[in-house]
Amino acid sequence: MIKLYDYELSGNCYKLRLLMSFLGLEYQTEAIDFYPGNQHKSDAFRRINPLGQLPVIDDDGLVLRDAQAILIYLASKYDPNGKWYPRDDAALLGQMAQWMAFADGITATSSAARLHDGLFYSSIDIDAARAGAHRLFRILDEHLFFAEEAGQDWICPGDHPTVADIACFPYVILSEEGGISRMTYPAIRRWCDRFKRIPGFIVMSGVFPAGPGFTDAAGVAA
Amino acid sequence: MATDLQNTWHPIAASTDLVKRHVYQAQLLGREYAVWRADDGYVNIWENRCLHRGVRLSIGINDGRELKCQYHGWRYANRTAGCTYIPAHPADAPARTICNNTYPVAEASGLVWCGEHATGDLPDMSGFESVTALRGLPVNAPRDMVIEALGAYAFADGCSAQTDEHGVVTVTAADGQAVRFFVQPSDSNLSVIRGVLNQALDGAERIAALRHHNFLLDVLRSQVEARAAELETPEPMTPPIAKVSADLAEIPPEQEGGRTAELRVQVVDKTVTAEGIVSLRLEAIKGQLPTFQPGAHIDVHLQNGMVRQYSLTNGPGETDHYTIGVKREPDSRGGSVAIHDSLAVGDVLAVSAPHNNFPLRRDALHTVFVAGGIGVTPLLAMARALNSQGLSFEFHYFVQSHAHAAFRREMGEFGDALTLHKGLSPEDTGAKLRDILASPGHARHLYICGPGPMLEATRGIAADLGWSDEAVHFEYFKNTKEVDDTNSFQIELARSALSLNVPAGKTILEVLRENGINMESSCEQGACGTCRVGVIEGEVIHQDVYLNDAEKSAGKSIMTCVSRAASDRLILDI
Repeated sequence: MIKLYDYELSGNCYKLRLLMSFLGLEYQTEAIDFYPGNQHKSDAFRRINPLGQLPVIDDDGLVLRDAQAILIYLASKYDPNGKWYPRDDAALLGQMAQWMAFADGITATSSAARLHDGLFYSSIDIDAARAGAHRLFRILDEHLFFAEEAGQDWICPGDHPTVADIACFPYVILSEEGGISRMTYPAIRRWCDRFKRIPGFIVMSGVFPAGPGFTDAAGVAA
Repeated sequence: MATDLQNTWHPIAASTDLVKRHVYQAQLLGREYAVWRADDGYVNIWENRCLHRGVRLSIGINDGRELKCQYHGWRYANRTAGCTYIPAHPADAPARTICNNTYPVAEASGLVWCGEHATGDLPDMSGFESVTALRGLPVNAPRDMVIEALGAYAFADGCSAQTDEHGVVTVTAADGQAVRFFVQPSDSNLSVIRGVLNQALDGAERIAALRHHNFLLDVLRSQVEARAAELETPEPMTPPIAKVSADLAEIPPEQEGGRTAELRVQVVDKTVTAEGIVSLRLEAIKGQLPTFQPGAHIDVHLQNGMVRQYSLTNGPGETDHYTIGVKREPDSRGGSVAIHDSLAVGDVLAVSAPHNNFPLRRDALHTVFVAGGIGVTPLLAMARALNSQGLSFEFHYFVQSHAHAAFRREMGEFGDALTLHKGLSPEDTGAKLRDILASPGHARHLYICGPGPMLEATRGIAADLGWSDEAVHFEYFKNTKEVDDTNSFQIELARSALSLNVPAGKTILEVLRENGINMESSCEQGACGTCRVGVIEGEVIHQDVYLNDAEKSAGKSIMTCVSRAASDRLILDI
């Protein structure tokens, strides 16, 4: 069975819990005391991940680190419909990789601000972290606005969300815990609602569920 | 003091920003708004904080009819912003005074407009009869600086810009294409550029135009933000949020007692909904009708001077009108006949604000409704509320025949939860009720409304089958008991420090009013529960049909319109 080395408040671990929930996968977790225990920097954990970072999975002996890498692995291996990480479209592969790299930028800024405000990481330059997150959110909001204009609900083209949406979602939705308002990003806020309505969506601390979406009398979503 | 900017309209969103089942977050002159479009299209602009614990409503849930706060689940109605349900107090109807602040709203030219104290007309849009709204672009700079920069905006050959005295910038190209910019003053150092083109575009042309302007405005934004960053950032605006409105904070002035009919409504539609039953759609002459909750009724003051109570049948969020159903009573004393025969579309009626003494719990695992005849009206509103929230219920509607079943269209949404029982004899009705009520179970609640004998029978069967008093809720149309008012006694008002004598022939309610205690009342015959008062000490002779048996024997409250003291004195909690 898949084992996830997990920390409840980690948005990066949440990415994997989300995908495994969307896919209906069974898995076990091993809790790592990130704060205040700093267990991810312990000698024992460094043997599992020399970078001393969460998340890590162990799937029947295959040990993988890095949330985005694990998303690609899990979607490739366990999504029977190949919707979350379609591999037969070169353009789409490039776009998913581009936005997953972008998600790393969101982690470096928005997540850093949240660690500063919420978990006492006082060495982080909070102003730079917030400014960096706003710079990225402006780009994402513009992208999603024009995606909507093109009739596209998700970060990448197609009628199904991909691992790129999962990679970007957690530290966008948790940004306010780092003092980063999303008020001026209306397209991001609408995308968050759509994301929360994906069947199998689960919450974590600080993330609230959406209500049902609108369907017209004929049952068609609008 | 309201400033000029507070008195004028500003765009705060594009119409397309407000998708259904979403809550948009906006800010104007420092004040934050939760903005949401109900399924009926209405745009609500509210203070962005829950009245309970101050949590932002922009993270709440728009269910199409109501907005639910994420924190403790308080629900607020479309249009009125009145609270309709508090999960922590499932048995109580929230007071009408629990109402969020609403702000002026208008939708025109592809934009949604607001102003804290906006009155008067929207900005003149001649030349912009058909429009395309551009993507709103937030800028970290004061409004004036953005307006100034827009004066140099050029999107095609031969552009010239004009800025009017309100800061509206219109840029016209040589070929007649034009864009008009409004700069939304979100805060002292945050503005949003909202532009509209003077033509309605679609398809690839629309996207190309949106991208073109978005790119140019992004360049302009970089320049303005660089300039703004060189200046000292102004302090954020701090709009005051009143803790409680002045009229609620002060002791209310002494008022004339009596039933009040504070609302004027017009009969907009009168439809025969079933054999002998008309439905009336009532709309406010001006302003907004007050919030109602399922189970609520209004007093209707008829043109012949009679006052009658009718339950609202509205579903949640249907806040632009009240709908009531009126049965023509064969033994009518003039109320229902006057409505059936004399009242016409266009007539104006005086009605009370809604009273709700028949509140609906929404924490039941399953709810059973038993409606007889016109008793369907309050239960219809209740079942519509549960249905809208996806909560489990079944609806049993006992009627003489198919033709006597009212509000069938509204009930269509109940699907399999609805069962019509047609033309059953009293014996068959009893047998059917025994089936329906066979399993009381945990957290199951029963709501009954119908003719007296049926209501009595249903309560009796429910009690027989083990339903507790707390799980059985009912409302009588009227109190048919003979009221005995021959005794005389003292009442002491614990909070008002008054001692009064209630003589034979007068009700407690009348004595209270004569002595300047402003009491709410509605049916004044012991059926509706509006004039209920707490009893601190003393024995009560209950003559109402509102309280259940457990409540009557507990003796903790009294219907002051009919009930009296069994002892020499009563100490009342008023």
